[in-house]
Amino acid sequence: MVDLIKKIKVLRSNFDEGVAQVEDKESLQELRNTYLSRKKGRITLLLKEMKNVSPEEKPEVGKKINEFKIHVQQKLDELDREIEKPKYKGSQIDLTLPGKQRYRGAPHPILKYKKRIEQIFLSMGFSIEDGPEIETDYYNFGALNFPPHHPARDDWDTLYLTDDLLLRTHTSPVQIRVMEKKKPPIRMINPGKVYRRETPDPTHIPMFYQVEGLVVDFGITFAHLKGTLEHFLKALYHEKIKIRFRPSYFPFTEPSAEVDIECTVCRGEESKCRVCGGGGWIEILGAGMVDPQVLKNVNIDPEKYSGFAFGMGIDRTAMFSFRIPDLRNFYENDLRFIRQFS
Amino acid sequence: MKISINWLKEYLDINIFPEKLVDEMNNIGLLVDQWEEKDGDVILELETYANRPDTLGHLGVAREIAASQGIPLKDQKFPVVEGDENISDVFDVQVLEEDLCPRYCGMIIKGFNNGPSPPWLIKRIQAMGLSPVNHVVDVTNYVLFSTAQPIHAFDLSKLSGDKIIVRKAMKGEELKVLGGESIQLSNDMLVIADEKKPLALAGVVGGEETAVTDESKDIFIESACFDPVSIRKTWKEAGIQTDASYRFERGTDISFPPEAARMVASLLTKEGGKALKGLVDIYPKPRKVRTVVLRHHRVSQLLGIEIEEEFIADLLKRMGFQVENQNEGIWRVQVPHFRVDLEREADLIEEIARFYGYDKIPSHLPVFQGINLEVNKRKNIEDRIRELLFHEGFDEVVNYSFMDTNKEKLFKTSSEAIEIRNPVSSKASLLRTTLLEGLLGNIVWNINRGAEGIHAFEIGNIFYQNEGKCFERYSLGMVTMGQLDPVFWQKEPEKSDFFHLKGTCEELLRHLKFDEFSFTKEENSFFEGNYSLSLSFKGEKIGILGQMKQSIVDAYSIEESVWAAEINLGSLLEKQPKPFEYIPVSRYPGIVRDVSFISDRDISYQEIKDCIEKLNIPYLEDYVLYDRFTGKEIPGEKISLSFRFVFRHPEKTLLAEEADSFQDKIIQALNTEFGLKLRGGGQD
Ligand SMILES: [Zn+2]
Repeated sequence: MVDLIKKIKVLRSNFDEGVAQVEDKESLQELRNTYLSRKKGRITLLLKEMKNVSPEEKPEVGKKINEFKIHVQQKLDELDREIEKPKYKGSQIDLTLPGKQRYRGAPHPILKYKKRIEQIFLSMGFSIEDGPEIETDYYNFGALNFPPHHPARDDWDTLYLTDDLLLRTHTSPVQIRVMEKKKPPIRMINPGKVYRRETPDPTHIPMFYQVEGLVVDFGITFAHLKGTLEHFLKALYHEKIKIRFRPSYFPFTEPSAEVDIECTVCRGEESKCRVCGGGGWIEILGAGMVDPQVLKNVNIDPEKYSGFAFGMGIDRTAMFSFRIPDLRNFYENDLRFIRQFS
Repeated sequence: MKISINWLKEYLDINIFPEKLVDEMNNIGLLVDQWEEKDGDVILELETYANRPDTLGHLGVAREIAASQGIPLKDQKFPVVEGDENISDVFDVQVLEEDLCPRYCGMIIKGFNNGPSPPWLIKRIQAMGLSPVNHVVDVTNYVLFSTAQPIHAFDLSKLSGDKIIVRKAMKGEELKVLGGESIQLSNDMLVIADEKKPLALAGVVGGEETAVTDESKDIFIESACFDPVSIRKTWKEAGIQTDASYRFERGTDISFPPEAARMVASLLTKEGGKALKGLVDIYPKPRKVRTVVLRHHRVSQLLGIEIEEEFIADLLKRMGFQVENQNEGIWRVQVPHFRVDLEREADLIEEIARFYGYDKIPSHLPVFQGINLEVNKRKNIEDRIRELLFHEGFDEVVNYSFMDTNKEKLFKTSSEAIEIRNPVSSKASLLRTTLLEGLLGNIVWNINRGAEGIHAFEIGNIFYQNEGKCFERYSLGMVTMGQLDPVFWQKEPEKSDFFHLKGTCEELLRHLKFDEFSFTKEENSFFEGNYSLSLSFKGEKIGILGQMKQSIVDAYSIEESVWAAEINLGSLLEKQPKPFEYIPVSRYPGIVRDVSFISDRDISYQEIKDCIEKLNIPYLEDYVLYDRFTGKEIPGEKISLSFRFVFRHPEKTLLAEEADSFQDKIIQALNTEFGLKLRGGGQD
């Protein structure tokens, strides 16, 4: 029996040598016949020799022969497939030739950035809400505590469709729409397009993206506003980014704040920095405690509940993050530009 | 607004580096955009807010700095050199519109020798970026930039009669304004008039005829308070905005006109001339100062930090407010008239936060209560579409939502476009009625920059009106043209075609689990007649696809064929996608049958598909058209269609006879319905 196992070993190495010498269909067929022919094939012959093996040893020898048979079949099948292919001899293929490329679509950079912002707020348990781009004067201004004929409206250069309809100048109307629909606790963001009557130049465009945020619950404080926005900005930029809150004015928040982050381009060390103008800070967010009048407008009792809201320009923030010099680049849709963001 | 540090020093004893001052001003919300040193002075560019007209003068800014630094404001005296005559004996002011002009003060100076201003005044005027005019006018401007109280001076000799009348303009009246043109006055504009005619547009601009010139000797000084809304409407209608109207429309300090008038009179009579005794002051309904109740516990409730009562009371006093302790932890705060913005407790809490320092308020994450985090369907579908289209090689673009009228005519969208009343430019005067217009623009831009294959999509709103109502429709637009892949040495790259686009649409709908879609040949104003389909879901039209019309691509100078689709995602969102249900994978072998038919050419694939599906063959796992050809061996106007059917039973091995009977059923049905015959077979 030992002899038979040795024999299998020898046959196996002979076969492997034979494989290496196969060059074409004919030599392959020859090799196949030598080993697998039903009458005189080496494997058939081996099986015939099995009758001389003792019953105890039969299973092991049988197993060995079977393994060998599978090996032979697999190798021959592989060779078969290879020979079918166009003829490239190992020595003739330049394996350093370029691999096949395919177009993969790339996201628009602003929408990619928008998604990053959404993910941070989703991870903080915020919901994502929608609102229309065509708004009424009431939602865009009135309900947000802009008195009619107040100069505060001039800060939002508005595109009007009719006396009452306009293209929303900010995402803040969604605050009102959500508070009309849902009762506290509210924790939402709304990213979307907003419109301003601006002639395009490197830092102004007539349409851009904003993200609005709103939290309303019992006991929400200005400290919570600071904590939430700091957490968000650290996640968006990095853990050590310097953040500054300073007083500001929005008709729909009281107190109001503007949030600056340090200029990561010059860190305040270049008096002619193109990004921050030398001040070392970049204005990135407007925020504040929801004005009690706004809460009253949606029938939420400001003595019982409080909240904070914030808004951020996504384009400007993306421009700063990606160091894109001109906002108009985003809307040219040059594929060489967009494909960099895949 | 420009703020001069030297000017601030008229009100404050400060000696501070500008960097430090700018920092401290920022901390209390006086944002300085820029500052520069100029002629021994430092000029700050202050960004002011619409609710803080008090900061539109140096006095208001000085008050803020004084409160934050805890230093007093300098006491200023304005002595007036007076003559013997009383103003009330010789001159009269009549206010006919008390609501629009709640207070009107006047003083008269006689015998003033007008001419150029003294050097100190010229410096001040120049610091504000203005050019000096003459002594009187420069003093009025000085008072405006100093106190935020606008002043107007009239040449008294040019008035008809001894009377000023504050009234509404009458129809047909005109006024030649300072420095130029005549404007037509309308009935709701407030004017300052003499007995004959209007002399000035109240609070907005003076008239040319009564303007003070170098020759003027006798001057009437107006220091008044006007209704902000009326001023705003007037300047908007007249199209004239001035430093005066900018302040009046934001609100001025109603207690201040007498002092401002005396300030002017003092600065002038110091140099010559004499003022008539006294001052005209028409103030029929004196306003009380506002009282706001402030509760200490609300401060910490809103700010999230305990601020000591002492700090608060002290701060409010420093700001010039009268504070009275009403009860334990409750104050009655009297807000002076110069702060027109402070009306409510929340407003005072902002003041406290501002001066306490936003940086000293701690940062905490709120403890979040659970909320109903329902999935945002729109965002969900958007994310999935984007993912799939990126995979299919489509780049994402975002175009402006505007469209020009010529393009609108070119596309002839069936819906009525919404017009923008005050567009940025005529090229952006409409809201877009299709996404394809922008996408074609993107093709041109990129062809011109060497792109050989352009496959792009945009998700966004299109807009239309119907019976006077405006609507937005959430849509997906796709275009594809040219090379599908980058060039490759082994093989010519494939080009995009109709079936590439259609395949993408099909893939998309299957991916979104809207499997019950179908296509119908349908003409459309966008597409060539022979390449135009409508796409439906459960029989409702949700989109179109096809080859862009020659006339349209010509207008864009695109030479290759462009394949495009537009899908109404808004209506798709209202539909129910097929709910996910796990189907166990059958462990039993399937039976594959290839069947070739001869068919008339005018039978559409969609019809055959509908017919097969209607049969509801059990165990028909899948079927696919794998070949379609015409040629010599196919007779007449016919085509050969080869289908591969896969039959499989989930729980047992299907018998050949069973597969036979299903197959026969299909063949039979297609034969009965459309006369399809087996190719090479004798079936009849
Ligand atoms: Zn910088």
